Amino acid sequence: MAAEQETQVSEAQIAVHWREEEYYYPPATFIAQANGADPALFERFSEQHFPECFKEYADLLAWDAYWHTTLDTSNPPFWKWFVGGRLNAAYNCVDRHLVTRRNKVALIWVPEPEHEETKAITYQELHRRVNEFAALLRDFAGVKTGDRVTFHLPMVPELPVSMLACARLGVIHSEVFGGFSGTACGERIADSGSHILVTMDGYYRNGQLIDHKAKADEAVAKARSLGFEVAKVLVWRRHPGQYASQSPMVSGRDFFVDELLGDYRGRVVEPVSMPAEAPLFLMYTSGTTARPKGCQHSTGGYLAYVTGTSKYYQDIHPEDTYWCFADIGWITGHSYIVYGPLSLGTTSVIYEGVPTYPDPGRPWRIAERLGVNIFHTAPTTIRMLRKLGPNEPAKYTYQFKHMTTVGEPIEPDVWRWYYDVVGKGKAVIVDTWWQTENGGFLGSTLPALQPMKPGSCGPGVLGIYPVIYDEKGEVVEAGSGRAGNICIRNPWPGIFQTVWGQPERFVQIYYQKYCRDKDSKDWRDWPYFAGDGALQAADGYFRILGRVDDVINVAGHRLGTKELESASITVEEIAEAAAVPVMDELRGRAVEIYVSVKPGFTSSRGIEQKVAKAIETQIGKIARPKNVWIVPDMPKTRSGKIMRRVIAGISNFTDVGDTTTLANPEVVDDIRRHVQAEKVARGEVPRELSPQEIEEIKAFGRAE
Amino acid sequence: MTQQYLVGELSLILSELQVVGTNQAAVRDVVRLRREAETTPPAALGPVVVRAVKLIDRLWWDDLTRGETAAFIREAAICDELWEFGVCAGLLEEGQTSDEMGRR
Repeated sequence: MAAEQETQVSEAQIAVHWREEEYYYPPATFIAQANGADPALFERFSEQHFPECFKEYADLLAWDAYWHTTLDTSNPPFWKWFVGGRLNAAYNCVDRHLVTRRNKVALIWVPEPEHEETKAITYQELHRRVNEFAALLRDFAGVKTGDRVTFHLPMVPELPVSMLACARLGVIHSEVFGGFSGTACGERIADSGSHILVTMDGYYRNGQLIDHKAKADEAVAKARSLGFEVAKVLVWRRHPGQYASQSPMVSGRDFFVDELLGDYRGRVVEPVSMPAEAPLFLMYTSGTTARPKGCQHSTGGYLAYVTGTSKYYQDIHPEDTYWCFADIGWITGHSYIVYGPLSLGTTSVIYEGVPTYPDPGRPWRIAERLGVNIFHTAPTTIRMLRKLGPNEPAKYTYQFKHMTTVGEPIEPDVWRWYYDVVGKGKAVIVDTWWQTENGGFLGSTLPALQPMKPGSCGPGVLGIYPVIYDEKGEVVEAGSGRAGNICIRNPWPGIFQTVWGQPERFVQIYYQKYCRDKDSKDWRDWPYFAGDGALQAADGYFRILGRVDDVINVAGHRLGTKELESASITVEEIAEAAAVPVMDELRGRAVEIYVSVKPGFTSSRGIEQKVAKAIETQIGKIARPKNVWIVPDMPKTRSGKIMRRVIAGISNFTDVGDTTTLANPEVVDDIRRHVQAEKVARGEVPRELSPQEIEEIKAFGRAE
Repeated sequence: MTQQYLVGELSLILSELQVVGTNQAAVRDVVRLRREAETTPPAALGPVVVRAVKLIDRLWWDDLTRGETAAFIREAAICDELWEFGVCAGLLEEGQTSDEMGRR
């Protein structure tokens, strides 16, 4: 009980390190033109109208066939939206605009070199390019509906063209962030089963033309090492006709797209009418050494959700010039550079390079020159622009009506610089919270109707009903000053459908924790566990505190296992590390670290002390491990993931669970004998654990 | 959006370092660190950034000692970029000395 009280106090302390801020209200000029200025929206999207409320988003799209069931909950938590409906995403983002805005600019591409010409691509031109590349993919590369195609493309217009070409064919695209290594790309190719890789020879970054094609060779080799063969590599050239890479083209495998496209000039491919629940794309998350996690997003639900949120939360009108300063390689770029804005028929800006090249005034010059009036970026970029050029925005005459911040909690003083200096005190800000898995925004203010509050994302967006639960599944009330795990009580159209090829992982990570009845078909029994810590103020606004995955709560301090492990391997001798909780009468939980040493080093007390010191130095005294155990090897799955629940079980003298799926089950008994014998000798055998504590240990490490 | 892009930015900066590397051992270290960056959750990137800064620190002194001034200059620019990124992403603290790095 003492530990629990201490935990609550500490969570509150964590939560209140930013004080409550005052509201900022949208200007009348914004409200007057806003898409979402009707207070009746809140009623229309209230829980009593769920799930039919999302018809309002779906009606923003052109459907080949209308749906018969808005939400099918027959196989929870594998929700199906707009069942029976058929549509094509590329048709919605391109073709349907040809009637009224054929010559309107769809994409403006700004190359990094400032002397290079900015390119404007009209909806008509986009239609031509998408069709020609779709014809090439179908007839040359042999892809067909349902196949996967991996892209490893930088920020060039060929990326949205490739995405939309796949969407036109009903092919599932999987873009890997262009800056990632070939190895990371190869792993995703193998996981998704893509026989085609689309890449580019080079791109500009910080004034340098980067050799990108070389990564394709690494990717193909990596995929091969995983037992998967890439049949064709399609290479766009940054400057058509000139090859920017030192990597030789592989005969019969590698092809220049610009050379092939001549054969497909003027070809028109009929958009394939897809079921609403057909997958549109995969977006892999990083941050794990285990099998990559491909978030599978649907066609109808996803497109409806990003279109609706783009309209109301980004306030996009067709006549706006909208610039989302993110990379299309992330979900933000998919949802809010490509699919959402193009579905609404607006002009979306794409910038190739780094924000501060050649100087921190670059974004504002682009905004001024192109007449950007909606601007969207991440706090890290905002902090960088503020640090390197705090007075730059004032030198330019651009005028934003709306700005977005996304991806991380933003400190109130950074928020105020964004508002006062970048927005010149005239633009509204939406501080949005959501994740790769979610498709679109989950938390934000509706900019014309809800005031802004620096540091808080706002309440749940339309049709999203968030709740904060504590570890026991009890609701943490708004205004209590306590933090907990933010969850979404209901399904929504943008939610990903599953983890590609790993449905059990999907259920385990996102639904198992707070599911009330695994046999229930009622969505109310299946809250979505977002994995972020949050606090809700009395006004209903949420403040997001960060990830809660595998946190060890030591005397109320939430220590991330990854952070502890990363600190451990800063010690030269350490090859691998795993952090686990151990029950501690004084602090509730304490940290124990298991490490293995690199070849050529032998175990010693000195190494244990170095690990403990590294953690103390890099994280803090509170994180100092109770014990550092040097083991010959870690228990691992066949994919190489360390099974933390097994070693947590050893540390706590509880059942280690099923070890039959381990690649090296024999190490478990060795570790157990060594660690438990030592603990007995030291008098560190824990008391008998409660059923809840045993469950906690069993569940440890499953979040990854 | 998640913080996935922080992982990507760090990987991208390390890829620049990989290209500049003048000896195989150094490049191997960079590749290893980049791999770690790509498989580390965004919330735990801090120590990886610290190690990256320290690695560059080691590389440029090696290059300077060997008279590889072009590599030294490029590495210094990358270190600057990495430092700004780390500070702005909240992964490093402004004003830390090399010895203090890692305390967050």
